[in-house]
Amino acid sequence: MTWFQPEGVELQYVSRRLIVVRLVALALLLLPALVGTSLLAALVAGDTSILWLLPIGVLLLGGFLSYVIVRQVTAHAWAEREDDLVVVRGRLWRRVTVIPYGRMQYVEVQSGPLGRFLGIASVQLHTASPGTDASIAGVPTAEAARLRDRLTERGQARLAGL
Amino acid sequence: MRAPSEWTRAHIISPFINGAQGFVVFLVIVVVQGQQGLRTLLEQEHMLYVILGVVGVILLASVVFVVTFFQWRVNLYRVTDSAVEQRRGLLFKQQRQARLDRLQAVDVVQPFLARIFGFAELSVEVAGGEKSGVQLKFLRLAHAEQLRNHIIHLASGTAEKPLAIDADDVGVDPVAELSPLSQSDKARAIAAQASPAREVYKVPVPRLLLSTVLTWRFILAILIPVVFVVALLVAGNATLEVVREVGIADDIAGAFTAIATAALAALGVTYSYLSRGFNFTAQVAADGIRLRHGMLDTRRQTVPPGRVQAIRLRQHLLWRRGDWWRVSINVAGYQDNQTAVSTLLPVGTRQEALEAVWLVLPDLGDPDPEGTFSAALSGKGEENDFTATPVRSAWFDPLQWRYRGTRATDRALLIRRGWLTREVFVVPHERTQSLGIRQGPLQRLLSLADVHVHSTNGPVRPVAQHMDVEDARELLEAQAERATLSRAVQTPDQWARIVGVPQGTL
Repeated sequence: MTWFQPEGVELQYVSRRLIVVRLVALALLLLPALVGTSLLAALVAGDTSILWLLPIGVLLLGGFLSYVIVRQVTAHAWAEREDDLVVVRGRLWRRVTVIPYGRMQYVEVQSGPLGRFLGIASVQLHTASPGTDASIAGVPTAEAARLRDRLTERGQARLAGL
Repeated sequence: MRAPSEWTRAHIISPFINGAQGFVVFLVIVVVQGQQGLRTLLEQEHMLYVILGVVGVILLASVVFVVTFFQWRVNLYRVTDSAVEQRRGLLFKQQRQARLDRLQAVDVVQPFLARIFGFAELSVEVAGGEKSGVQLKFLRLAHAEQLRNHIIHLASGTAEKPLAIDADDVGVDPVAELSPLSQSDKARAIAAQASPAREVYKVPVPRLLLSTVLTWRFILAILIPVVFVVALLVAGNATLEVVREVGIADDIAGAFTAIATAALAALGVTYSYLSRGFNFTAQVAADGIRLRHGMLDTRRQTVPPGRVQAIRLRQHLLWRRGDWWRVSINVAGYQDNQTAVSTLLPVGTRQEALEAVWLVLPDLGDPDPEGTFSAALSGKGEENDFTATPVRSAWFDPLQWRYRGTRATDRALLIRRGWLTREVFVVPHERTQSLGIRQGPLQRLLSLADVHVHSTNGPVRPVAQHMDVEDARELLEAQAERATLSRAVQTPDQWARIVGVPQGTL
């Protein structure tokens, strides 16, 4: 279900594997905090100390952020239309960006170590405007390469200076 | 000397100007930062110290000069048919190429020191990334202007072949002087380069001064210290006595210094605004819009047709009486120092503001351009087919919502907003880079959304806030389509070739 449905084309949702990548990144960030606060509670105070609220808080935060990640990734999609690319993202703060192919300056494909392992990459389009926020995270690698080539091809066909 | 196709150096005075600029900055820092030290030095009245100081300064000056001299020696440029190229750097070599088919603007800049001696810097701005432009400094003013004309001429696509390929004047290339062809070439080139210009408007200095005074920044800068002093006086001696006894006089002195500093900073901003708008004139010629402005430093900008990406008109509350407007633009090539270069009209009447817009966008694509534009400048609600924001958007801005509105003509998108300070954005359809809709959770509850029109880097960031979500979607779709259609017929990079400007007028 999406709030913005472009006419005539299906939205393509990003790979769910992006959830894994983001969760791992989140875990790497929160695990030290969890371990640290637990140790603190265990060493400094006893079993019933109020300090145990800290690791519980970290766990709750992790749970909430995981929920946000799942919701965000399942709302992230793109659609290639005849003359432009549509990128949709966000649940609470929702954004739609429309980039005409002719305005594209270059396309960038990136993937981190974990993303490569899982076979996903992010595709970012650059226009002459710094305001264009057109990145698609979590595109399957093969699809990313195809997308890049297709975008470049279409961009060249419609290129119109600035 | 016009466009050298061989590698050429800038004028020999360049190292002196560059060195002097660096030296003045250094001296100012020494005097400001080392005041105390200097004072004690002088108080000691030891001739030795004074002599040491003078020798030090002279040594430093010669080092600075030697460095700038060698920098000048390796700083070379040339103009080919397709690019302005520059080589420079003593230790780290650098070669830059400003492609003429990506040319966005050419400016002749005169910093104060260079201006005194009649020299100028030529700044060529091209599209594409940071630091892609080329700055040639310094050249004789007349030469810089000729070179500017020549570069624009080449970029416009009317030149079948380079008009002049000799270099002379500074004695760097004496061969050109001996060339039998150079005289006739020169005459032909100058004739072809004299592009007739028509003055469109000029900003009178009194109006500029008055408009500067009538801004919040200035009023606050003046008002706060005045109020502070008056308050002190009114409170009278009695209070002062109390103050002295309680011992917070130091705090008051501190507060006063802080306020004075803030006021000075505000005045500094005001000065730079004033300086940029001083003697502002706009001319139109076949090769584009020419802007001239500056008090001590001056700048002559040339922006070819179709290079302006977006326009903003703004009116402060206190400007409403005279119906004055300020017009700012986004031009793609300019990377840094945006505020200095992005003013199309510092302050002008409504008529002048309209002329400024027509300069950039000769055809609004509307049967009644004047009427539509006046609705954009001072209308509200749905007058003249504007799409207004719904009543429920008053939850976000109870005072402004009536004034918000958007309208698309055949050529451009108009966005109006502002209650006290009125603002109008104008974006030609073919200049739209990309579009976006954004919606926050509260807007979602009220079915509202913002539409962003992404333009190139610059002061103009068009956005239509709190539209009905259906209107927003419709605008996005329609705008994307209009942008595609307009691009198919837009002004090409080599504008004159397609527009059909008769040969010889460029």
